[in-house]
Amino acid sequence: MVSNNNKEIVKIITPLPMTLSQKKIVKNKLSRIGSIDQMVFQEEVDPSLIGGIIIIYGEILIDCSLRTQLDKMKEGMI
Amino acid sequence: MISIDRSIIFQIINFLILVALLFRFLFKPVVQALDKRSNHIREEMEKIEKEKKAAEELRLKYEEESKNIHIKYQEMQEYANQEAVKIKSKIINEAYQESEKIKQTAEEKARIEIDKLYSDLKLDIIDISTEMAAKLLHERIDISKQDQLIEQLLEEAINKIEIKTDVQHGKQ
Repeated sequence: MVSNNNKEIVKIITPLPMTLSQKKIVKNKLSRIGSIDQMVFQEEVDPSLIGGIIIIYGEILIDCSLRTQLDKMKEGMI
Repeated sequence: MISIDRSIIFQIINFLILVALLFRFLFKPVVQALDKRSNHIREEMEKIEKEKKAAEELRLKYEEESKNIHIKYQEMQEYANQEAVKIKSKIINEAYQESEKIKQTAEEKARIEIDKLYSDLKLDIIDISTEMAAKLLHERIDISKQDQLIEQLLEEAINKIEIKTDVQHGKQ
């Protein structure tokens, strides 16, 4: 997804509103796979995630939420 | 000289005439009648003997037939008994097979039901466990733990993406 100024939109979903330190961690990590200057961040809060983070960056989906971990664990048990 | 009374001679002549007449008119018909009667009796006796013989033959024939009928009756009874035993055996066998089939079906149904119950129970336990774990995690997650999670999980995810990207570049 591309914004009006041709920057890539990065959607970040967390269970709690992100703190400054968390934002810093996220940007630091994302800088390893893309240019931060070319990214526009959109934050969203979804308490059902429990913990962790989901990042949608272009075609890349980084799902690090505890909800997904629990769901995978549940599927494994079934 | 012997003198014979003339009346005696006359009586002798009369007697002889009487004898001749008796022989002619009495003795002969009586003998004939007796012969006739005797023949009739003999014929009747022969007839009776024949009839007796025929009756005996008929009796023997009936006895033989009766014996044959009795043998046939016994054979039929034996055959009927054998058939009854066969039918009884067949009915028992069919009933046993049917009962086995019903038993197997019931066992199969019970097994499916138990498996379903076990599966449902397992799913319920997993659901409850997962929800309890989610609730527990939800209560224990604070800012610092969220920081740690983001740091740790994101690091792993980014590493994987980097490895994947390197592999793709290597292929190109």
